[in-house]
Amino acid sequence: MRLNYPTNVKIIRVPCTGKVDTIHILRAFEKGADGVCVIGCMEGDCHYNSGNFRARKRVEQVSHLLEQIGIGGERVKMFNLSSGEGPRFAQYAVEMTERVTALGPNPIKLARKRAAA
Amino acid sequence: MIVADKKPIEEIIETTRNFKRLLILGCNECVTVCEAGGKKEVGILASALRMNALNQGREVKIDEITLERQCDHEYLEEIRNVVDQYDGILSIACGVGVQFTAEKYQATPVLPGVNTKFMGATEKRGLWVERCQGCGQCILATTGGICPVSRCAKRLFNGPCGGSSNGKCEISKEVDCAWQLIIDRMKALGTLEDYEKLSPIKDWSTDRAGGPRKVVREDVQL
Amino acid sequence: MTAVNPYNKNLDDRRATFIEYPQAVPLAFAIDPKVCIGCGLCENICLAKAVRYADRIKESALRVGAVILSSGSEGYDPSGLDYFGYGRSPNVVTSEEFERILSASGPYRGHVMRPLDREEPRRIAWIQCVGSRDTNRCGNGYCSSVCCMYAIKEAMIAKEHIHGDLDCTIFNMDIRTFGKDYEKYYLRARDKEGVQFVKARIHTVDPIAETGDLAVRYVDESGAIREEIFSMVVLSVGLQIPRASVALAGQLGIELNKYNFVATDPFLPVTTSRPGIYTCGVFQGPKDIPSSITEASAAACAAGRDLAAARGTETRSIEIPDEIDVSGETPRIGVFVCNCGINIGGIVKVQEVQDYAATLPNVVYTDQNLFTCSQDTQDKIKDKIKAHRLNRVVVAACTPKTHEPMFQETLQACGINKYLFEMANIRNQNSWIHSKDPAGATRKAKDLVRAAVARAGTLHPLEEKKISVIPRALVVGGGVAGMNAALGLANQGFEAVLVEKEEKLGGLANRLTHTIEGADVGAYVDDLIRKVNDHPKIQVQTQSLIVGFTGFKGNFSTEVLVGPGMYERKIAHGAVVLATGAREYQPKEYGYGEDPRVVTQLELGARLAEKGAGDLNEVVMIQCVGSRNEENPNCSRICCQSAIKNALHIKAENPDANVYVLYRDIRTYGLLEDYYTEARAKGVLFFRYSPERPPEVVAGEAGVAVTFEDPILGRRLQVSADLLALSAGMVAEDTEELGSIMKLARNAEGYFMEAHVKLRPVEMATEGVFVCGTAHSPKLLSETIAQAYAAASRATTFLSQSEMTLSAVVAQVDADKCASCLVCVRSCPYGVPRINAEGVSEIDPALCHGCGICAGECPAKAIELNWYEDDQLLCKVEALLEGVL
Repeated sequence: MRLNYPTNVKIIRVPCTGKVDTIHILRAFEKGADGVCVIGCMEGDCHYNSGNFRARKRVEQVSHLLEQIGIGGERVKMFNLSSGEGPRFAQYAVEMTERVTALGPNPIKLARKRAAA
Repeated sequence: MIVADKKPIEEIIETTRNFKRLLILGCNECVTVCEAGGKKEVGILASALRMNALNQGREVKIDEITLERQCDHEYLEEIRNVVDQYDGILSIACGVGVQFTAEKYQATPVLPGVNTKFMGATEKRGLWVERCQGCGQCILATTGGICPVSRCAKRLFNGPCGGSSNGKCEISKEVDCAWQLIIDRMKALGTLEDYEKLSPIKDWSTDRAGGPRKVVREDVQL
Repeated sequence: MTAVNPYNKNLDDRRATFIEYPQAVPLAFAIDPKVCIGCGLCENICLAKAVRYADRIKESALRVGAVILSSGSEGYDPSGLDYFGYGRSPNVVTSEEFERILSASGPYRGHVMRPLDREEPRRIAWIQCVGSRDTNRCGNGYCSSVCCMYAIKEAMIAKEHIHGDLDCTIFNMDIRTFGKDYEKYYLRARDKEGVQFVKARIHTVDPIAETGDLAVRYVDESGAIREEIFSMVVLSVGLQIPRASVALAGQLGIELNKYNFVATDPFLPVTTSRPGIYTCGVFQGPKDIPSSITEASAAACAAGRDLAAARGTETRSIEIPDEIDVSGETPRIGVFVCNCGINIGGIVKVQEVQDYAATLPNVVYTDQNLFTCSQDTQDKIKDKIKAHRLNRVVVAACTPKTHEPMFQETLQACGINKYLFEMANIRNQNSWIHSKDPAGATRKAKDLVRAAVARAGTLHPLEEKKISVIPRALVVGGGVAGMNAALGLANQGFEAVLVEKEEKLGGLANRLTHTIEGADVGAYVDDLIRKVNDHPKIQVQTQSLIVGFTGFKGNFSTEVLVGPGMYERKIAHGAVVLATGAREYQPKEYGYGEDPRVVTQLELGARLAEKGAGDLNEVVMIQCVGSRNEENPNCSRICCQSAIKNALHIKAENPDANVYVLYRDIRTYGLLEDYYTEARAKGVLFFRYSPERPPEVVAGEAGVAVTFEDPILGRRLQVSADLLALSAGMVAEDTEELGSIMKLARNAEGYFMEAHVKLRPVEMATEGVFVCGTAHSPKLLSETIAQAYAAASRATTFLSQSEMTLSAVVAQVDADKCASCLVCVRSCPYGVPRINAEGVSEIDPALCHGCGICAGECPAKAIELNWYEDDQLLCKVEALLEGVL
């Protein structure tokens, strides 16, 4: 199923999106990530029952925080799909890349450049 | 426990904007239980404030420490050696912790990171409700275990007012009429005859209205 | 070379060398000899030398102790039914073709389009019972059991996938949603999603040339001819047995019934006519996925009984050397980069990645291989681990899903703890999806290796605790399910303690006389009780109540109060089988309890066995009493066949008796359909009523007056019945207390909730606890027996391990940091964290499922999930973003 999506998408494995901590997502942005997606099972189908519901709440919390501090709440998003949906994963990866590209780089990067200049 | 709620991040950003070296101080007791000021919240706030600073081109050092409590001297002593490394401390403990920390470290500004609300209980995850206002003279024995000081909008002591309708308070349909609750409870307990007994006028001197309070126990003082 | 792709039902093409579908096992290519032109290029090109071009079919002989036939079915081919337009218009498809159209990995990649012009349909019609319930055009008189549900599912999913509005209409004779919670799905489709259900048999589908649409003509209930236009028509084709299976049965000497399904006895549902050969799935009879999976385990149990004496005689065990203690050492990481033939090497510059890896912190050795997963590479890796004293290994190759366990075994074979291993996916998540950007893929491969090396540095050895397993099961409930489960276990050599709250064994079956096939239930139950009482490995405790329950998988302890004397007994056991059963609903409707002439079907059955039907002239039966209503939205599954069984009994003894069955849908699924046909042939009258206008019952002197509507005549009719039989549904036994003592999940109707509706139908979410029989949901006696075998089979798989190895990926609480806030206790989906005697949260590693939800929720950061600790994940974040700021 040789699908394609851009090389800037890099994946970290977790046993369940319920394990993804708010702090992990924030740290990614702190270190200069332009976008973060949290990808889990379909709602109602979480392998561990409720992990993806908890993840959704955390993603919403991070999105709100990022908006408040001027990084941009649209840079973090949660996607739900089943493990059999390869094409959908690729589609979401492309979607997220386009969305983040349109938002521009993480403002921290630009601020750093300005400060160094 | 003491229930607090997180302050909006804009407010915190505003009050800490001049600090170049900031310590975020968390507490492992009440504010952890109501998920407003524990070690995790410290981490989240620190990361958000760092990013905010970076975004504005400012360099800040933001460190994170969580103490067991901020209302006992011994725990606050744990940061004595590092306090002078910071221009300011953002304490996300309850108002007690913020003040105690400030009193101990007079030379360092200590700012609050949460809004302390009330003494209450966890109704369910994510819902905390007020139950006690610390009036200093507990009368729960006469009211079937339901407090009119904290739960009646008018703090009435002898039955509901005319505004009680369908078991709800006149100030909001979401608020139960405390006296309806008390009557229902006393009925269930079979003590409804006591309801007719008049409560005397409350001595509010034991309440905050009588001035800042303290509790002295000679029997346990060293 | 290309050919039409039969997996996608000929809707698209595939090559001569192909993988049949993404879930194929083994996931390997095959050559289609019908399309292959014989160039032999594939054999020359394959770097793994995996193509044996001249390979031919080989025969080999196997000596086995038992055989299980699970050869399944094929979809009915409606090509012969000219009136449906199939073959004349590509927009008339079978349900199998529609499934492929819906599938994200199908010919249209999940975009719902109609084949003719690839337009999105606006209106779709499903025609039910194509190739089923039809002795006229095809010989399949049975009901295929699954088509009603799958048609509803297809309609629901099509509505989700299509961006605009989609009108769905399902033309049916009866809607047969009889499975557990299936009725609720039907109601949701009809009431919430607006799927329409029309009672009609379609007689003509005409393609309309100009638009590609289809004109569907039918007669509605009032007798008027209607025509409706649809963009697509889906024929809900039934399941039938392929000729090859019939031939196989002939070769094996297995008896088949008249529809070519395996002939089985209702009390021995998976046993064929030849000893030692068992069957399961649709070859046994049309059924859905949960029932197929249940029967598969049932067949395993039956076969397991035959093989019990030989258990363990042919298994081999692997010798694992002692683990080397590397805890004090600094990490010495070895990085092995794979070429995977040209899969990685063709896009990514593997040498560059290997050289880069050598520059990373703590990396002391790097290597690259053509195929890291091959056996000789495993030996090479073992040598390198020993030669360079590696204590962490990173393999940069494919997805861990394929070979992680194998690589971990390689580490273990060198005495290195298997959790000191990390994989970087530079194939599925890199070279395969960035094939157009080799430079980018090489850069990304380096990033991924850097992240993997960073994580490898943070890994430390984890211990997989071993727990013993008590080879005994506790069976709760001594009915047909419980007794069969106990025998299933005992016959395979495991002890079973059977706890029953009543004085007698037998449960609800004590009230039954015969099955619809005519088999003698009473004799069967007596025989079963005798076998259970006589079996040396079964202990029976009647008049017993469960009052306490502790422990975890493999090590439970249950407190039971036994007998009228109520003496306490503690039973130690490794597994639990729940078989608490169900009861007949006691109707509050239709004068039941007030007039002795109003009875339930069970009472009628007993009455017929005792007194016969000679004195009955007018019998009315009302279906769905206590089911499919607001109080109990479910279908009780067994009442239609129960009514028809009694109706046939009455007609057999008294052919002149008038029997009227007032129904909402007749749900004689599978092979039961023949009995419905027989009943109609014998003159039993069936009248459909709608729940908004139910029959009216007034008990009078002469008889019980039942007034109801005949939808065909459009008139109200009244019968003065000698007997009114109510098809009272099933109600779960009251297991509230048991449920809270043993922490068992039950649904809203009080039935136990299995771990997964389709794939794990006899297991509860708690490991070591199994469920069977009507405690799970209403079902027939034969289905109960199959499910009991299945539960026994799953339980024996569990109990047959001498010790269980627990995964080390479990959460742990740091007691010093715990604030006892209860957040973890509340958020764990399995109820594992508990506040212990010291007042802090504690997680039992034997119970933890390793999801990490508690770790993510803990406000005090006191919980870490082994192998996914915070810094083990954060170091990857930092490594991937190194140099960005």
